[in-house]
Amino acid sequence: MTPADDQQLPDAESGRDEAHAQEELDDELAPEAPVEPAVVAAPAARDSFEKIDQHLLRRYHLHGDLKAREELITMYMPLVRSLARRYASRGEHFDDLVQVGAIGLIKAIDRFDLSRGVELTTYATPNIVGEIKRYFRDKGWSVRVPRGLQELNIRVNKMIDELTPKLQRSPTIEEIAAASNATPEEVLEALESSQAYNSVSLQASPTSDPGDDESALVDYLGGDENAYDTMEDRTMLAPGFAKLSARERYILHLRFFEGLTQSQIAVRVGISQMHVSRLIRRALEQLREEIGELDAPASPPARSIQNQR
Amino acid sequence: MAERINLDVAASLSSLSTIRRVLGGLAARLGFSLDDIDDLYLSTEEVIRCALGHESPERLRLEMLVSDDGLRIEMGGFSSSELRAELRCDAAAADVVDLACLLRNTVDEVCVQEQAGGAFTVALVRGHRSLP
Repeated sequence: MTPADDQQLPDAESGRDEAHAQEELDDELAPEAPVEPAVVAAPAARDSFEKIDQHLLRRYHLHGDLKAREELITMYMPLVRSLARRYASRGEHFDDLVQVGAIGLIKAIDRFDLSRGVELTTYATPNIVGEIKRYFRDKGWSVRVPRGLQELNIRVNKMIDELTPKLQRSPTIEEIAAASNATPEEVLEALESSQAYNSVSLQASPTSDPGDDESALVDYLGGDENAYDTMEDRTMLAPGFAKLSARERYILHLRFFEGLTQSQIAVRVGISQMHVSRLIRRALEQLREEIGELDAPASPPARSIQNQR
Repeated sequence: MAERINLDVAASLSSLSTIRRVLGGLAARLGFSLDDIDDLYLSTEEVIRCALGHESPERLRLEMLVSDDGLRIEMGGFSSSELRAELRCDAAAADVVDLACLLRNTVDEVCVQEQAGGAFTVALVRGHRSLP
């Protein structure tokens, strides 16, 4: 979906986007709240929010009141930040994504047609997401993926988001392929290409603090792994769990202790299946890193070995 | 009709992409959902990551058996006692996600088969599910 697309969205998509945007707003308004199944806003508060929207939109579009436009932008920035946060794990700075999303929001406000009877949230959400996705398509891949594949990847992800609620289950590759006008092989290739969103230099420091460690990731390659037994693993994992966000812990709990599928978790938490997949992988990766930190001796083992050679 | 696909790749994490491609293709042909495919990726990757964390084989050998019943992925040539212990660990009482717990939730069956010389293979089985 690009900002240039028509406002008249298909019913299913508009409803989904609207509901999703509302959940995002709820999230934003209560960032410290414990993660629970999707919170539903009180109808009265929602009505009031929509009335303010309509009032400001009329002031801007009918009377050219730029202050109303500014108020609308400020009002919807939490939505932009929420949507940008979804893409923050792909290697781009969160602030940059917010800026790009804000452009999408401004375009949506400027192009909004009062006569359509569509809510601003419904219209703005795909515009903001579209702007962020276009930014990724143009700049986001640090490993150069062919443009056709990048576009297919975006189309495939869009189809997954559409098909999952429509089918009430996770779609098959065949179904995604048919909806994306691609072959199953192309769909698999596109999904695989999403792994190339970001890359890390082998010369990069393994820690976030550049002054903390002079070693590079390459120093850790090919090193001997110290063995540790399973009980120690469990003991080590406990503090790792404590460092995960409440949402990551909740998602891991739903997946591995309640046995929910990724699609079911997506519905319960109010995010996409692809995002659930990414969060699970990231949480596991974080746990793995945590074990590494606790298990590592004062100096990196591989570096020590290299120095002795 | 059952079909057997053998994969022999370098024992490194960079081979995971190749493995995912083959696995994804087979699972897609069986009509697995995206969730099921992602579960297969996750379980296979975790066994391999765990194995490579404990031992340093030169090659990774995988055998994938495709049948009407589902998909069986057999990974061979491991010998690490740590991996063996992690696969058999009963984490039901622990509030952590370990390998055994992860596999229980992503595949239908995990088989550890002993081989000569202390080596063993790990087989992951994911049955075919009819879609609603």
